[in-house]
Amino acid sequence: MADIKSMIAEFEEIALNPAKSAAKLKKESGKKLIGMFPYHLPEEIVYAAGMLPVGMWGGQTDFKLSNKYLQSFCCSLIKANVEFGMNGAYKGILDGVIMAAYCDTLKCICEDWKVAVVEPTGMPLIAMYYPQNRKIAAAVPYMQAEFEKAQAQLEAISGKKVTEADLEAAWTVYEAYRAECRKFVKLVAKMPATLNATKRHLILKAGWFMDKKAYTEKLAALNAAIEAAPAEAFKGKKVLVEGIIVEPIALLDAFVENDVCIVADDVAQQSRMFRIEGRKAGTVYEKMAYRIVDAYADPLLLDEKKEHGEELIKMAKEAGADGVVVCAMKFCDPEEYDYPIFKKQLEAAGIPVLYMEIEQQMASVEQYKTRIQAFAETLA
Amino acid sequence: MYFLGIDIGSSSSKCVIIDENKNIVGRAVKNIGTGTNGPSVVIGEALAKAGITEEQIDFTVATGYGRANHTQADKQITEISCHGKGVAHLVPGARTIIDIGGQDAKVIKLSETGNVDNFVMNEKCAAGTGRFLEVMARILNCELSELSELAKKSTEEVEISNTCTVFAESEVISQLAQGTKREDVAMGANHSITSRVAGLARRIGITPIVVMTGGVAINDSVVHSMEEQIGYDITVAPDPQACGALGAALFALESFNKKNN
Ligand code: SF4
Repeated sequence: MADIKSMIAEFEEIALNPAKSAAKLKKESGKKLIGMFPYHLPEEIVYAAGMLPVGMWGGQTDFKLSNKYLQSFCCSLIKANVEFGMNGAYKGILDGVIMAAYCDTLKCICEDWKVAVVEPTGMPLIAMYYPQNRKIAAAVPYMQAEFEKAQAQLEAISGKKVTEADLEAAWTVYEAYRAECRKFVKLVAKMPATLNATKRHLILKAGWFMDKKAYTEKLAALNAAIEAAPAEAFKGKKVLVEGIIVEPIALLDAFVENDVCIVADDVAQQSRMFRIEGRKAGTVYEKMAYRIVDAYADPLLLDEKKEHGEELIKMAKEAGADGVVVCAMKFCDPEEYDYPIFKKQLEAAGIPVLYMEIEQQMASVEQYKTRIQAFAETLA
Repeated sequence: MYFLGIDIGSSSSKCVIIDENKNIVGRAVKNIGTGTNGPSVVIGEALAKAGITEEQIDFTVATGYGRANHTQADKQITEISCHGKGVAHLVPGARTIIDIGGQDAKVIKLSETGNVDNFVMNEKCAAGTGRFLEVMARILNCELSELSELAKKSTEEVEISNTCTVFAESEVISQLAQGTKREDVAMGANHSITSRVAGLARRIGITPIVVMTGGVAINDSVVHSMEEQIGYDITVAPDPQACGALGAALFALESFNKKNN
């Protein structure tokens, strides 16, 4: 148990200090770092090019400079990223940024970023476009072409030519990483107190600021320790959380204070990035493209059949969740479009839903505490 | 045996003491909330009314915004569950509760058996809360308690923004400057708050019997305006301000029985 605690503490330290962790990673690995802005980006190519991808998941800041480009109705996650880009927080840490236009805000930011960050700092931007119609035959070759374009730009940054063998090796690292994450999220229910909402979040978040190979090894060790440990008794409630991110930390602490364990997630920063297992056949680029084709229940990827609700019901049932907590990022339209549809589906399935509109930089979470506590009381 | 419920809100403190047969033996309300001596004052008054001492209380439940700070409580439960409990006890068959407090507004859906099924709360904003009416009373130069009577004398409808208290304030000042009558503005303020809260209620669906609780429910012109907005009759809970405290006291009794059985 002491072992598990110290393993968790290591992840916590990394995830609570992203800037420090990224700087340390850069120094110790001697590699260039490429920022992932932030969803479904070709991390494998970065890795194959001898560099390390790191997450760009906003952070705690006031919005001063970003207001020049982003109106008050833009999400707080992107505002924070732009603020950090403009105030120099990424300087000396990131050697480039990859961004894809998954939502209206990101579409505009691709252009704004060039003026606001690339021009003054010279930090390269690799802008990617993923297909809306990801299920049609043309989607895969189209994505391959996008990957090849990104590869050329990444090679220019790293100065290293990427071979098919490099890509295969990187793909293996990432598939192992994703498999270990999938295993971890399933194991949480075994130790709901030790792996409480905050710890679960920080353990997963740490992966965004580490070399994925090293992270996978550490996570595998933690998973093995959890498997060997006795199951914890738990009297609280179990929920599935949905959203882009679940932050600030004080919000997660409110789950912990009320004995609410997150036994499953449908969160962009977490499971949506690793729940799809890669196909076995084809080139690495084909396999990477198929991960986008095969993705489900992800508001950022077109879902013509609107299956998000059904998938949520399935996930909640499989995880034994008592209810679903929606952490809707304020002003995130992809999430907002999906919510009314899946809310009805969840309610029809008799699954209680708590809806909370969140911002990453909320100064006070008092009202959220009441909501989470009241939700837990209704589940009693 | 005695059970105490204390509801520590943002702008008021309420205390209810019941006996083992759920009879209310003491009750007090003060318009000062968390962070003040309000909680200890109302507890003192309620104890005095009941003619008992603090030592005679068998179980205490704290609720409301300041519930976590009341360390003397045996348990803390949210105001959502407590309002649900209080209303289910006072108005059997109630299915929807509209509670407008000092700093928040909430709508609670009760099941047929009186348990909380679902709830919605206002976002962090004073529009649609008691605070909005306080601001309006100040501009209209009257007491909060006089607002209702003033609104009843209204002869003409005035529209006031329901999205932002700060905007509404300047809107009202310019209305008054243009000669709009205070009575009409008072009514406009009522409509503003009720249309906002009615929107909240529609989000979870309204099922009769609809009950209003919270300090604002004392204002009968707000209640009437709310009835118009939602299209249902509204029952104002007896002693609407103390409903949460009563619910807390009922939970205290239940918790005590659970613990000792
Ligand atoms: S949170 Fe939503 S709106 Fe913001 S960048 Fe992500 S997808 Fe776009």
